[in-house]
Amino acid sequence: MYIYLIVTFLLFISFSNINAQSNVNPDISLIGTFNSTMDFTKGSPEKGKLNFEMPEMELFVDGYLNPYARATGNIAYEEGEFSVEELYANIVRGLPLDAQIKAGKYLVGFGQLNIVHPHAWVFVGRPLFHQIYFGPEGFNDIGFNFSFILPTETFYTNLDLGIFKGDAIGNSELEEPSQEEIADHRGRSPIFVGRLGTFFSLSDYSNLGIGLDGSYGVHAKMDINSTGDTTSSFTNKSLNYTYVGLDFKYKYRPDDYTALTIQGEGIFNHRDVMRDDNFGINSPVQEIKTIKTYGGFISIDYLFDKTYDFGLKYDLTNGIIGDEPGYNTLSNDDQNSTQGLTAWFGYYPIEHTLAFRLNVGNLFYHYADGTPGDNSTLVTLQMIFSLGPHKAHPF
Amino acid sequence: MKKLLISILMIASSLSFANVKAVTTLTIIYDLVKNIGKDKVEVDYLCRGNQDPHFLEVMPSYMLKLRNADLVFEIGLDLEKWLPQLIDGSRNNNIQIVDLSQDIEKKEVPSAKMDARYGDVHPYGNPHYYLDPLDVKIMAKEVYDALATQDPENTSYYEKNYNNYVKLLDAKIIEWNNKMAKVKDKPIVFFHASWIYFTDQYGIKVVGFVEPKPGIPPTPSHNADVINLIKKSGAKIIVMENYYSDAAPNQISQITGVKVLKVPVGLFGTEGIDSYFKMMDYIVDQIVSNT
Repeated sequence: MYIYLIVTFLLFISFSNINAQSNVNPDISLIGTFNSTMDFTKGSPEKGKLNFEMPEMELFVDGYLNPYARATGNIAYEEGEFSVEELYANIVRGLPLDAQIKAGKYLVGFGQLNIVHPHAWVFVGRPLFHQIYFGPEGFNDIGFNFSFILPTETFYTNLDLGIFKGDAIGNSELEEPSQEEIADHRGRSPIFVGRLGTFFSLSDYSNLGIGLDGSYGVHAKMDINSTGDTTSSFTNKSLNYTYVGLDFKYKYRPDDYTALTIQGEGIFNHRDVMRDDNFGINSPVQEIKTIKTYGGFISIDYLFDKTYDFGLKYDLTNGIIGDEPGYNTLSNDDQNSTQGLTAWFGYYPIEHTLAFRLNVGNLFYHYADGTPGDNSTLVTLQMIFSLGPHKAHPF
Repeated sequence: MKKLLISILMIASSLSFANVKAVTTLTIIYDLVKNIGKDKVEVDYLCRGNQDPHFLEVMPSYMLKLRNADLVFEIGLDLEKWLPQLIDGSRNNNIQIVDLSQDIEKKEVPSAKMDARYGDVHPYGNPHYYLDPLDVKIMAKEVYDALATQDPENTSYYEKNYNNYVKLLDAKIIEWNNKMAKVKDKPIVFFHASWIYFTDQYGIKVVGFVEPKPGIPPTPSHNADVINLIKKSGAKIIVMENYYSDAAPNQISQITGVKVLKVPVGLFGTEGIDSYFKMMDYIVDQIVSNT
């Protein structure tokens, strides 16, 4: 299978004429994020205390490799550690069918928000369904993406098809999916991601982007004891998942100083999960069950006078935010759910070189067994600076 | 059968038979390409006349416009920083970029290292040369050259259109010169530092800018400085582009009595302004009648 893919890829790029070199320096940008939080959760030992979080940094290096391709690196410093957030090359022209190929580690185009770096979001904090189904860093994975513009002449439609390692899916149920022994739980199976996105200019001042997303693959491989007899051999089973996503973003921008943005995304999760059923001491019967869960958010943001904005976001997802990753939690949890309500006020003094945000986030936990949930409230004061020519994110 | 024939005719009439497909970043260039290319060129633009060309939002619909274009005309001098992203997104491997600033005598080219503390300073010089009609003549020549190179079979057609346009432009230049002679050496406050080519051409005395530095929003302390400048200089008008907020100029106006002129510096952003001539007529008439 991989040989075929590699051969196809090599044949594909051999049609292009990629042999130029450039000596021009790339663009270098530095993004700094400082968060100060105050927890107002009832009963929390941290309640009312001001917490200065470790500053976060992103160092972007970006530029053309040659007339046909770009390369981007994003080194992040978060929670006291450096990591490679993104590192990829993107062949932007010169390929057959006007395709683009992106290869490396990057934010996967599942929905419209995931590909936007969090520092460019209007709110603080990742949407809840991202945390449940993709892990705390969102859908960031290693792989190849092939992008095509479809021949719809009057409106823009693009089709993206990708094959990825699947770490982001592992992040939704494992603590350390990159560790080899844990990765064996998923095997070497790649995951597949597709997106059909379209964009309509409704008028000179309003635009609408909508998308349909899908991802399919093996999220775990397990030795299943389906009889309860511990002396019999276990059966190795692949547990599959399918994500189907829908997204939209509407923006009304009557002038350069005012914008109303309404955005929403949703995901449907169809997944094989392992469930234990104890028939007696030391004789667990394990079975594979198919669960169907969902999540999503909708937000509204109003920018006025070019320098201020405020907005609201509502989140709803299966799974409990903050649960330990496991085979009954997060993306494997079809019993419990979390709701979120977020409000924010932003101040952008000069062209997004500086941003200040006051964000109030509330989480409401719903447990199927009636466990009373400790709802949480977190107030965040955020300051972001952007030094250098880091590119604006597309619509 | 009759219906089929009508349908075929309708489809055929909707197809484009233009020899060249062009996209322009600004509407002023669109006007030039339209006048020189006429029916041999299919042309569209990206930035409307009431949008700030420094910060056009990167949208897929713009990529679609560029997708099948042969030529894209730009002002250059780093004005359209958003253009490379759009061209990459268009996947158009054959598009030719025509930078109209090549033969322009650049003004305000920084002589020392510039950084963000000086505001939005363009490192290759002020890109707003299209506000000087003499520079528009140079732009028209660049447009003609590009069209003739792209479609050599119709060189004489483009040349004729170019000559006709320049003839009209020359007549308008004389008209604008005569009108603007009345305001020579008069003090004027501008909102943004985009008028150097215009003021140099017509000998206008620039008293100051409402923006403390290019691209930096007005501040109360700077507004106070501008008020003092207006009082000292006797300036009667603040001239500003129609895509900027007039909140600060209006505050200054309330204190000093100065008139705020919000003028189009592009086409299709103000009612009735659909050509460069009409745009310049509007600007010139407003300045002359209010100064």
